[in-house]
This record gives sequence, structure tokens and C-alpha cells, in this order.
Amino acid sequence: MWNGLLALASRMRAVFTPRALDADFERELRDHLERAIDDNLRRGMTLETAAREARLRLGGIAQLQEANRDQRGLPQVDTIMQDLRYAFRNLRKNPAFSIVAVLTLAIGIGATTSMFSVLHAVLLRPLPYAQPDRLVEIFEVNPLKRWTRNVASAANYADWRRMNTVFTDVAATNGSGDKGEGTFDVFLTGNGEPQRLKALQTTGNLFQVLGAGPMLGRTFTDEETYDGHQRVVILSYQLWRALFAGDPAVVGRSVTLSGRTFNVVGVMPPSFFYPSRDIQLWMPVGYKPDVFAKARRAHWLRVVARLKPGVSLDRAKADMTAVAAQLEKTYPDTNTQMGVRLEGLHDAFAFDARPALLVLFAAVGSVFLIVCVNVANLQLGRAAGRTREMAIRRALGAGRGRLIRQLVTEGVVLSAFGGAIGLLLAAIAKRILVALAATSLPLFADPTVDRAVVLFAVGLSLLAPILFGLAPALMSARAGTLGERSESTGAGQAAIRNALVMCEVALAVILVVAAGLLVRSLVLLQRVDPGFDAAHAVAFQVQLPPARYPDDAKMLAAFETIDRRLREQTGVDAAGGASTLALNGFTWTGDATVEGRGPTDYERELRHQSTTPNYFRALDARLVRGRWLTEADRPPRPAVTLVNETLAKRYFRGEDAIGKRISFGRPTDKPAWVTIVGIVQDFKQDGMDDPVQPEVYVPLAQELQNPLTFVVRSRLQADAVVSLARAQVRAVDKDLVPTDVTTLDAVVRKAVDGQRFRTWLLGSFAGIALLLAALGIYGVLAYFVAQRVRELGIRLALGASPARVWRMVVGQGMRPVLWGSLAGLAVAYAAADLMKSLLFGVAPLDPATYAMTAGALALVGAIACAVPASRAVRVDPLVALRQD
Amino acid sequence: MPQDILQGTLDLMVLQTLEAMGPLHGYGIARRIEQVSEDVLQLNQGTIYASLVRLQQRRWISANWGVSDNNRRAKFYTITKAGRKQLAAQTDSWERLAGVIGRLLKLSPER
Repeated sequence: MWNGLLALASRMRAVFTPRALDADFERELRDHLERAIDDNLRRGMTLETAAREARLRLGGIAQLQEANRDQRGLPQVDTIMQDLRYAFRNLRKNPAFSIVAVLTLAIGIGATTSMFSVLHAVLLRPLPYAQPDRLVEIFEVNPLKRWTRNVASAANYADWRRMNTVFTDVAATNGSGDKGEGTFDVFLTGNGEPQRLKALQTTGNLFQVLGAGPMLGRTFTDEETYDGHQRVVILSYQLWRALFAGDPAVVGRSVTLSGRTFNVVGVMPPSFFYPSRDIQLWMPVGYKPDVFAKARRAHWLRVVARLKPGVSLDRAKADMTAVAAQLEKTYPDTNTQMGVRLEGLHDAFAFDARPALLVLFAAVGSVFLIVCVNVANLQLGRAAGRTREMAIRRALGAGRGRLIRQLVTEGVVLSAFGGAIGLLLAAIAKRILVALAATSLPLFADPTVDRAVVLFAVGLSLLAPILFGLAPALMSARAGTLGERSESTGAGQAAIRNALVMCEVALAVILVVAAGLLVRSLVLLQRVDPGFDAAHAVAFQVQLPPARYPDDAKMLAAFETIDRRLREQTGVDAAGGASTLALNGFTWTGDATVEGRGPTDYERELRHQSTTPNYFRALDARLVRGRWLTEADRPPRPAVTLVNETLAKRYFRGEDAIGKRISFGRPTDKPAWVTIVGIVQDFKQDGMDDPVQPEVYVPLAQELQNPLTFVVRSRLQADAVVSLARAQVRAVDKDLVPTDVTTLDAVVRKAVDGQRFRTWLLGSFAGIALLLAALGIYGVLAYFVAQRVRELGIRLALGASPARVWRMVVGQGMRPVLWGSLAGLAVAYAAADLMKSLLFGVAPLDPATYAMTAGALALVGAIACAVPASRAVRVDPLVALRQD
Repeated sequence: MPQDILQGTLDLMVLQTLEAMGPLHGYGIARRIEQVSEDVLQLNQGTIYASLVRLQQRRWISANWGVSDNNRRAKFYTITKAGRKQLAAQTDSWERLAGVIGRLLKLSPER
């Protein structure tokens, strides 16, 4: 074995340095001859005899050289090189075929690879934690509240941590949204313009649970979880580079964040993120121990835990379900029907993206298959023309294996070129993809062309020739002897080529159906009325640092001053603020009781917002009935609220809601009645595709919230409005900055970004598929016509009308289209349910989409058939008969 | 009467020659084998070189250009440690085989 390897190694070396070795051997042989001649002379021969004798004894120099080359090199490699040279020559001789094949392969491999790079980044690449597959995220579920994956209350978290027997430890964080985006802003002050940073608040044990060590300094201690010890921060690598220019002595220095001083205790390595790359620094939650004991009503913590060695996810689920049941018994008041849901951390991170990514990857996989089928078809077409060449080569003694190897080599060369260009395309497409997908991919994902992606592309390039090359190779190598005419293999070939076209059409149909469904969803989604006028409105957030605004009165005064100043600007039509902006996916909720209802008849998790009086005017939302809020609606006046239409309908069951009183609590709580004074038209809250939930709007002066999002409606340019707003905010407090600046238009657009991205991608895959299918149909039919020129000529000469010939040719071409379409529609119909979660307002079996797809395929098929058919009609009988 | 030789046998002879004589060039090896065999073996001297490549590939001998007696450059072959081990093993098995064949051939036919 070892000897064999050594020999192989030296043979390999020989392959790469043939000239030097040849020269060396020649010198050696010359030396040998000289010595032999010397000896012979010494024995008394004449010079001539001596030389001849020496040569005779040694053997022919050329033969020795050849034998030496064979012995020291790899004869197989030489054959391969010969195959390669021949393949190159052949492909160069057919530039049209080669270019089409290489480009098709490049598109197929490129599209599949770039899609894989996204899939890999989101679903496959391991998270940068120790044994990441042992980490789980824990959610609250509650059928009563319609919760399927909710954030947890602090007290529930603390009890889970204390009572479970399956985790080494459990950590909790605050300040990130569904996609892992930072929702907790801190402001770095001290040098110039305050800078907004995305922070994540965490319990002290987070980094231990994740098994992630710092690059500099240390991580948090358990004690730092609590109030009084929380003035410490850990920086992300990027923030460390940006703020401290990568100064290694940063540990121990202090930073001022939102008016408070924090000690930098550590810096994380560049690869680390949690839960997304959005987060720039981590700080302790800093709660009083009380919070973990009592706060069971409010829910705001994301919980991550590490399984003990040997504990399975199922066992952990069972254990935690038992813990939840026990908590339900102990705290019926808050935990009725409160269960838990455990997901692997990676699954939890990729939760939203997974179904769309899998559908898209399946789609791009189909495109790849179509590409292979198409190249197979091209090769078959070419192989038919090469029957004679193959027969000659066989006659000259090429073995069948050698011929197949030759064809496979050609396939590999095509595929290698296609793969190389494809990888390049993927690298370019990556940027476009990331730009397009910016808001629809989870934020932790960072699609890059890394080793795995390159390997994937190489794998595809190797897979492709097997898929597209084997059938043609076997077919043409079977091609018999010289005597056979090229036409004689036509029948079997035509059948195979028709079958391939059928496959192509079927795959294309499936993609077109999927794309059609998505396009219809997108159209419907974009037509949805958000319930407010999105044009000409700018929105931004203002957060007051509690350090400098210690009480509600100060905060309210600041917000109201900003509100007033904004409204007073010339060019501003209306301005107002609310605690959360529509379509931003984050709300406050709480229980609510309608006056006069029984003790168990109450509303759970009602959404509530605090707004300034003019907020709805800024949104240009419509008042259905009653009155708006006014400046006068503030304590000590009686508490009032607006409600949306859905609430009025659902909670008041046919009665008029105006004048009714509700209390934000349960019937058993001491009521604090609030009178409903107006009903506002519904507007979208979580997403354009989510139904509107009941919501109330109370005056900010009645219930203060911080931060506040202002909306400014103005005919001015958005830029002008922003700078105007910035000036007004800074005029109130020079350390305040408007953040999350956007226009309502952008907010609405962003709400359908995910859908648009998917539609765009799947649509382009479907387009490519259609194009390739058309090419396939055209190729087969064009070949059919070329082969039958004589037959067609005879038919025309015997008086067949051109229309009849046309019908015959088109009929021939459309047959695989018809069968392929039917097969594709059937598969699409059977698999439609997979698309369900991606659709809006369209049933997966939407008949219109299916009908349109069938129509589109028929049209594309007809166009692809028309060209060869009209060529067939123009056949000149005389010319056709004279052929051959 | 000149004799053909088996391929593996030639390798063994080359190894033995290098072991006995020390570093030697291709011509020297060929001559030595012919002399030792007292010209029973009429080598096609070229085959020596195939054997030398084979032995080098297995790292049983090494080669270097050097200067010979009459001040001429020649490629010298030297047996390596691995080559010596191989030689010992092969000599052993060769002798056993030769013994068996010898005994076999001495058996007189049964009448």
C-alpha cells in the first residue's frame, strides 16, 4: 500500500516535469554508451564496431525513452489529457452548441449556488456557540391568548430556570425583535452628535449558556443581572473597532450611554453575534430581584437554555411541560393555559425564513434539472449528427468504453466552464440577493461565498454531466457500424428527446404555477389598504433617557413640547406621536373588562397605545363615529379612550360602543373606568396580511409611554421634513436624536418586502424555466424538421397543403408540451399545500392561476414550434429530393 | 546459452549488486551482472533502466549525478535502508523458493 502510494507520488511528479526527466535520462544513456564503447575499444574493436556493439547491447534509444516515460509517468493521465484535448477541439468546432450549453449550465449552477449560499447561511452554517445544537429557545404558548410563540414573563423565566431538571442553565434577554433585530436603543453621548446603538439587555449568565468566551476582558457575572451591579457593558467586535479603533486597553474604560456611565468589561470576537449581527453591545438587564419573583403579567423576555449532556429535546419538552403545569396550578391568575414551546435555537432563529427558503430552493433545484435536461437534449441532437463520426472511430478500433469516456469528458469540460461562470454569477448575485432580501432574511444570516458554497458549486458541476451526459453517451456509443445511415437511430432518439422535453415542460409548469400564485398574492397584498394615508408622511422615534427625565411629568412635558413645535412649523399639515408605529410588529397588550360583564367574561391581551391628540390627523385616519382626543383629555378630567372598529364590533356585540366604559384589568381587579369617546377606522398593525386586532388609543397625558414615534404629514420633501424634525427635537434637548427615521410609504413597502422578494425570485426562476423549456421544444422540433426534409418535400410535391404540413409539424412539437403540461399541473396540484404559508388571499388551488399557466405554456410552446414549422412549410420539394 | 530473466529477478539482482559493490552507474550495474553470471545472462542492457526507475519509485535505491574514475559525470545509484530490508526479505524467500524448486526437480519419476 505504502509502496504503491510512494510510486504514485513519484509518477505524479513525473507527469508535471516531463522535459527535465527526458533530458536527464538521455544524458544517462549517452554516458552508458560512451562507457560501453570505451570498454569495447579496450577489447580491441574498431571504433565503428565498438559503437555498433554498444548500441545493440543497450537497445533502441527512442524505445527506451518511451518505456521510461511510461514507467515513470501515468499513462492514464496521458489518455485523459488526450480526451481533454479532443473534447476542447470538438467543442470549439461547434461554438453555437458549446456557448449555449455553457451559458445554460452557468445559469443553472449559478442560480442554484447563490440560492444555496442563502440557504446555507440561514439554515445550515453552525451558530458561533459551543455545541450550538444543544441550545434551545423557550417560548410561552397560550391558546386563551392565541399565543403560539410568545416572549416570556420574568417570573415565569425565573421559575423555569429554578424548577427544570434538564438544562445546565437558562438565560433571558430583552431587546430584540422577531428577526433578531435590536429594539432597545441606547445613546452614546460625550463626543458630538449622540450616537444611537443597538443594545441587548441580558441576564448575567447568557455567555455561559451560549458557551461563548470574550476576545478581551470577561463576560458578565450572575450578580450583574441585578440592579446595582448593572453598569457594565460588553462590546461587539465591530463596535470596538468603530468606537475605540480596536484599542486593546479598552477594558476598564467607561462609556456614557443614555446619560449613564458604564464600564467596558469585555469585547466579543468578530464571529460572535446574539441574536443577530444587528446588536452592537450587551448590558445586564439590571432588574431588582423582585422582578424575577413577581412580574408574571407582562411578557418581554426571550429565553435561551442549554440542554444537559445526554438530555434529548423531547425529554426537555416533557420536563418543561410539567414545570409549566405546576406553575399553572400555583398561579391560576396569570398562568391559566400557559404552556411552553421549545425549539432548537437555530430553528428558532430561522423560523420565519425556513418555509420560503425551502420552496425557493426546491424551485431553483427544478431550474437546475431543467438545465440538465436541456443540455442533454442539445447533446442528443448533436450526437445524432455525430453518428457517423462515432461509427468511424469504432471501426478504427476505439472501444465502446473509450467512446463513452470521450463523451463524458466533453460533458465534464462543458460543466466545468459552466460551473466556473456560475460561481462567478453566484458571487455577483449574492450582493443583489442580499440587497433584495435585506428585510426578509433573518438578521443573523450573512450569505457569503465560502468553502461550503464553492464545494457545492463544484459538486453541482460534477453532478450535471452525470445527469445530462449519460443518456446521450450511452445512446451514441451504441450507434453501430459504418454501414448504418444516421437516420436509422432516429426513432429511439426522438422518443427520448420528446420525453426530455416533457420533463422540462412539467418542471416549468410547476414553477410557473408557484410563481403565479405568489404574483397574485403580491398584487392582492399591495392592494390592501393600510387604513392610513402613507403618502407624504415621515415617521421617527424619540427616546428620552430616564437618567435625565426621572419622572413622568418631565417626560410628558418634553414630548408635548416636541409635538407642539412640530405642528407649528410651516409646511407641516399635521403631526402627532404614538407609543408604537403601525406595521412595526411590536405592541403592548393587557387584559380589559367591559363594564357590566360577568367575572369570567373579559378580554385578554388587548392592544393598547398612547397617542398625542393629533396622531390620527397625521396618519390621515378616518373617525368612524364619536370625537377625536383633545388637549383637554388629561387628568384630572375623566379618563377617555378611542377604540378601533374591530374592537367596537367584537367586544360590544351589536351595541354602540360610544359612551361605554372599559377598565384595563380583569373583572376581579379594582376597576379604573375609561370612557370610549370615538371609534377609529381600522388600520394594519402587524403586517399587511394579518387581520386587524382590537386596539385602544388612550391620551399620552393619561398614560405615558417612552419612547414615542412621531408622524409628520407634510407636502415638503421627506429630507426637508427630516431635517426640520431633527432641529425641533434638538431644540428641546440637544442630546436627543430622532432614530428609525422613515416614511410611511417605506413602512408599507417594507411590510410586503418578504413577499416581494420571494415573488421576484420565484418569478425569475419560472421565467428561466419557461425560456429553457421553449429552447428544448424548439431544438427537438427543429431537428425533427431537418431530419424529415425529404419526407416533407415529397408531401408538398404530392400536393399536401402548407397548412396541413404546418399542422403536422406543430402537432408533433406540441405533443410533449401537452403531456408535460398535464403532468406538471398534476404535480403542482398535489404539492400546492406546501405553498400555503406563503400565500395571501389566494387558494393554493386557485383555478385562475392553473388556467393561466396552461395558457402560458401553450403560448410559449406554440411560439417555439412556429419557427421550425414555417421552415417546414417553405421546404422546396426539388431541393429536398436532391439531398444526399 | 543466453537466458531470459524474470522481471522481479532483475530487480533483485540490481539490489544485490548495489549492496555488494556500493554506488554504481547503470552501465556498471549491467556489466557487473553480466560478469557475475559469466555471460550466461545476456542482458538487454536497456531493461536495467526500467528496473532502476521501478526501484527508485519504491524508494529502495536513490540516484545522484556524480563524477566517476576517469573524471566523467555519471548517474550513481545507491541502495537505501528500505532497499536493504527488501533485499534481505527477497533473498530469503528466493532461497526458499530455489530450494523447493531444486528438490522438486531432483525427484525422479516413479516407474
